[in-house]
Amino acid sequence: MSQNPYQPINGEIADIIDESPTIKTFVVVPEEKFRFETGQFVELTLPGEGEAPFTPSSSPAETEKMEITIMKVGRVTALLHECKKGQKVGIRGPFGNGYPIDDFRGKEVYIVGGGVGLAPIRSLFLTLVDRIKDFKSVVCRFGARTPDDFIYKNTLFGSWQKIAGVNMKLTVDEANDNWDGNVGVVTTILAADDVEIKNAVAVVCGPPIMMKFATLNLLDFGFAAKNIYLSMEKNMSCGIGKCGHCMIGKYYVCKDGPVFTYEQIKDYPDIWD
Amino acid sequence: MEAVFISKLKPFLDAVAEQMELYVPKKVEQHYIYSRYDPSADMPAEFNNIRTCTTVKEFLFPMCELAAVYPAPVEPKDIKPFAVFGLKDCDLRSIEILDKVFAEEEFKDTFYVTRRENMFIISSDCFEPGESCFCNLFGGQPFAQSGFDLNVSQVRVGFIIEAGSDKGKDFIEKHSRLFTGVPEAALAEQGENRARAQKQLEQNNAEYQLDAPIKEVVENSQGSDVFDIEAKDCVECQGCTRICPTCHCFYLYDTRQKDYFTKMKMWDSCMRQAYAEVAGGANPHKILGDRIKHRFMHKFVYFLDRYGIDMCVGCGRCVQTCAGGMDIRAVLKKLSEEVKGKGKRQAKVAK
Repeated sequence: MSQNPYQPINGEIADIIDESPTIKTFVVVPEEKFRFETGQFVELTLPGEGEAPFTPSSSPAETEKMEITIMKVGRVTALLHECKKGQKVGIRGPFGNGYPIDDFRGKEVYIVGGGVGLAPIRSLFLTLVDRIKDFKSVVCRFGARTPDDFIYKNTLFGSWQKIAGVNMKLTVDEANDNWDGNVGVVTTILAADDVEIKNAVAVVCGPPIMMKFATLNLLDFGFAAKNIYLSMEKNMSCGIGKCGHCMIGKYYVCKDGPVFTYEQIKDYPDIWD
Repeated sequence: MEAVFISKLKPFLDAVAEQMELYVPKKVEQHYIYSRYDPSADMPAEFNNIRTCTTVKEFLFPMCELAAVYPAPVEPKDIKPFAVFGLKDCDLRSIEILDKVFAEEEFKDTFYVTRRENMFIISSDCFEPGESCFCNLFGGQPFAQSGFDLNVSQVRVGFIIEAGSDKGKDFIEKHSRLFTGVPEAALAEQGENRARAQKQLEQNNAEYQLDAPIKEVVENSQGSDVFDIEAKDCVECQGCTRICPTCHCFYLYDTRQKDYFTKMKMWDSCMRQAYAEVAGGANPHKILGDRIKHRFMHKFVYFLDRYGIDMCVGCGRCVQTCAGGMDIRAVLKKLSEEVKGKGKRQAKVAK
């Protein structure tokens, strides 16, 4: 890797998968092997246009290619959504810390996710499933605005549900004719007896408003703040804790995060804004 | 410390300029700014009595620079040794702060580090601290304490030059023909000048002494409305952050050239409204008062927590620059009064 932290590795978009009306997954093949820990993020550059931070959604076991799930939400992501297969890109990173998987050993892992927040969760889920015997169980509670807005539909509605050791419930804010599951925001499918809280850790990733209320729910259930892991999204740019844009209190989300325990950041104002 | 004497500044600066590019303070109206020294151009060798208007960060972390070229990387052009004359103690301490950020062990900024290694630092004593100078409130002095290669003190009959590093010692040895021993009287005068400047600083800032450690004062101001009140006079020009020798936020952006692309690194400011905004529109610092508060928190709480020093050297450049007349010393004093008041109220309630 280059000594220069601002130098991207060259890569190419090998495939593009439509996930939902506003979300696509890009299969990116870097020119050199790329290793990351699940939960870490990369800066993806569209040459000449700009870069933006994303947590890869693929398993870190895969080093030849990486999948990045992107919602069309701003200037760079809108341009990325117009890209075709073969588009050259740049990748910087990986940056920050990942999920402390080894600390989850022997425990129930309670994963609460919503919307495009399932992207980092997919990488975590695949990593956990790879060594599912290490954990007491993996309990997933995922939500989306409508059934069409769920990403990774094929696996989410199919094979993931059948994995031994995985317990999964899904919900949507608004149902359609094909939906016979729960209707309501994700907190409506959280229950205090979903896991044995004394021996569980929680992982939350999704839109800020969902993360806020899910965290409050988990605290109500009796989760300790230090056992709630949040994947924070701020304006990460340099990736190395210098440019200043992503600060939460004294922390640089890019360097000290993006994964924080609620305990670390709970006293700072505006963490959900 | 090795010290020598020279009666005129020009032969000394000429000797430095012979070896490397030299930047010296040049007076423009009432301020000093840096310009390239040209020995042949009959340039006056000027001793700046006070810090320059522009900051030393411009030499180490330029306003806009090339950060990367892709897809084919290009090695950065060789950065040649250069010297800067006339830096004050506040400037040296601002370098110490920038070093913490950009030369940090695991996360080195290669551009900064290369410039830093190539910089020859010639500091000088402050003869006349300005109205806005308050380095004494942050442990600073009107003369260099450490972090210089050579330091120059002006006295009536000439200049005392001291080495503060091996590089500085080597320079003095190499040019020993230029120097003589330091006259006894000159040393005494140097001491008097320094004491006078110290006294001046103490007088200027007597009213801004705080009743508690700065960190405590600022940390306790989380719910204060002082920042929102200050925000009423702020015109969001961002001058305070640009002129600050310790502020180091930057913005990365990409450009398209004929047959390659670049990443550029440009100064940014936490006073800018969209500074912390994410693509989805969320912004933890939408309100100007919150941005001012974040700036104070970063300087006096967060930076201290992480690196063990305040991110302010008391140079007073922000005080001089502010179009809205905000004086950082006065804001700290207001916060300190508030904390004191709160303490009293709590004591009363407890009774």
